[in-house]
Amino acid sequence: MSAPLVLAVPAKGRLQENAEAFFARAGLPLIKPRGARDYRGAIAGLDGVEVAYLSASEITQQLAQGGAHLGVTGEDLVREMIPDADKRVVLVTGLGFGFANVVVAVPQAWIDVRNMADLDDVATAFRHHHDRKMRVATKYVNLTRDYFAAQGVVDYRIVESSGATEGAPAAGTAELIVDITTTGATLAANALKIVDDGVILRSQANLVASRAATWGAAEREVARVILDRIAAQARARAFREVRSRFPGCDEAIVSAAKQRFGIETPFGGPTSSGMLTLHCPPDQVYELTSFLRDRGAQAVSVADLGYVFSRDNPLYAKLEAGLA
Amino acid sequence: MDAVVTSMAKEPDARAEALVASYERAGYRRTAPAILQPAEPFLDLSGEDIRKRMFLTSAPGGEEFCLRPDLTIPVSRDYLASPSAGKPESFCYLAPVFRHRQDGPAEFLQAGIESFGRADKAAADAEMLALALEATGHYGLAAPQIQIGDVALFSALIAALELAPAWKRRLIKDFNRKSNLAQDLDRLVLGTTNGQQEYQGVLAALAGSDPKGAHALVTDLLSIAGITAVGGRSVGEIAERFLEQAALGAGNKLPREQRALIERFLAVSGDPDEAAAELRALADEAKIALTPMLDLFESRTGFLAARGIDVRSIRFSTAFGRGFDYYTGFVFELSAAPSGSDQLVSGGRYDGLLTRLGASEPISAVGFAVWIERLVALGGAA
Repeated sequence: MSAPLVLAVPAKGRLQENAEAFFARAGLPLIKPRGARDYRGAIAGLDGVEVAYLSASEITQQLAQGGAHLGVTGEDLVREMIPDADKRVVLVTGLGFGFANVVVAVPQAWIDVRNMADLDDVATAFRHHHDRKMRVATKYVNLTRDYFAAQGVVDYRIVESSGATEGAPAAGTAELIVDITTTGATLAANALKIVDDGVILRSQANLVASRAATWGAAEREVARVILDRIAAQARARAFREVRSRFPGCDEAIVSAAKQRFGIETPFGGPTSSGMLTLHCPPDQVYELTSFLRDRGAQAVSVADLGYVFSRDNPLYAKLEAGLA
Repeated sequence: MDAVVTSMAKEPDARAEALVASYERAGYRRTAPAILQPAEPFLDLSGEDIRKRMFLTSAPGGEEFCLRPDLTIPVSRDYLASPSAGKPESFCYLAPVFRHRQDGPAEFLQAGIESFGRADKAAADAEMLALALEATGHYGLAAPQIQIGDVALFSALIAALELAPAWKRRLIKDFNRKSNLAQDLDRLVLGTTNGQQEYQGVLAALAGSDPKGAHALVTDLLSIAGITAVGGRSVGEIAERFLEQAALGAGNKLPREQRALIERFLAVSGDPDEAAAELRALADEAKIALTPMLDLFESRTGFLAARGIDVRSIRFSTAFGRGFDYYTGFVFELSAAPSGSDQLVSGGRYDGLLTRLGASEPISAVGFAVWIERLVALGGAA
């Protein structure tokens, strides 16, 4: 018997809710056969998967070390915690939740600081004035160091902070911070502002694959099924199905619609009777229906899609390429 | 797993021991600082970038320690803590240092010398290079490539230019970090101070005003914006920087001839005698005072020749620095092959280091470190 594929998902909070909802939408409901307090689970209807409920940072570590095959974690943690992340893990796909930016934020009172070049200048001047280096409070030590180095900022010291980083400047334990923010409200409440070019990373929750894990035929097959379903669901969400039938419908109309609305034709062009099925980005649906009606369509129906399975499996292809 | 831990060569390298013994005979006291060091001085002096190469650990109280990534700072700290701090003292060492590296074990041997408190700087500089050549000589490399520079020359040039203090700070920093010097020179000539356009009105109003006026303006701006807490920097500092920016904005951009001068200066290279002559001519022509630095430079070259070093084989370049801002004068590297290969010995003068480590008075300091494993790899069997 082969070992199961380990899928690591967040054990608590909004990330857990979002991750469970995500897998459920993809037709991969996560279940805990031994009760809600269990930290091990499974996917209903899919054998060979063990779901491990862990904290986001544990998930990241497990992915780096190969203790989990697939996991849900933020790109911020991947970039921060895993040196040479692209050599150790594959970011298979963004999941559309857990959005947050890692940003450089300074006191609002620093009205002379707009961008990183200003910050560099201020940092050097600060050292001359105070005979010590400016302190940056953050839990993103590696991201901060790499970004500051790339920006040429050298006169600073990192003060590691594990919580309430945004309070550090007011508390006097640091002059500025690098922290994660979604709306910026917490920063503003602490009289901080984001430096113009100070967005280090635009992060979201990702499905991440470990390159260090054991990827035998069984694990690959399970991963293929999981990713096929996720891709089918992702594609379904990215499109609406638009159907119509009218005599004047021909290839010219379809290719014009492709140009203008970014539609896809999953089943080819119009049939001999003028029957047409299109997949259209949601924000283009109304324009597309107008376009079709102008050209003779009496009725156009639009429907949500449940899944769109296709022969190719782009996410699995990405995983395979990454594992090679 | 990465090959972080690799056992040291079981046989202590006899040539390395012989080298250090010869340093001891030359009057350098052998010292062995603690392996476990407070991390703070390394991070403070070398910058946060060194953190990813250091082995860090923390005490239960939270204080950060590290396995020493070099010996210059530990030897300097021990000297400062000793009764002879401030007096002339000279040390040699042969001991392991610890750094994360892609291309080798994290624990490796360095030999070296640190010499403190000597007033005869030119002679001390020359002695360092002579002793460094002894190191490669012990491994059968009698005539390595010698690259030298002198950080004091660039500092003196920048100090002599009529330039806003902010730009002087920045150019010195760029030079030390070998980073954006060319880019900053472009910006200076063009007079664009990236992205400050929004403030041009305020800055123009400030141009020529006094610190008091600027202070009042910044205070008013902050109160209009409803900002009460000023983090870290005082209103005075912000006002001062506004004044600097205003000065920059008011047409104080680097004239093209000044830029041409800096570029000509940085292009000077060759053997030390030729270079010194060229720099004297340049200084005369541009009417900038480089004489004290050039006198020291030529005196050093004289001492090098007196020690039997073929001065004409030395490659000097004004643009050569060591990438750390605590070097203040003479810097050098010895390597086996033409440029690009790893340095075998590197060192220089770091008169600014000991004050930054807490010395109350400036203490002159000069020294170098020898990469034993590279010499071993190069020298083959003894």
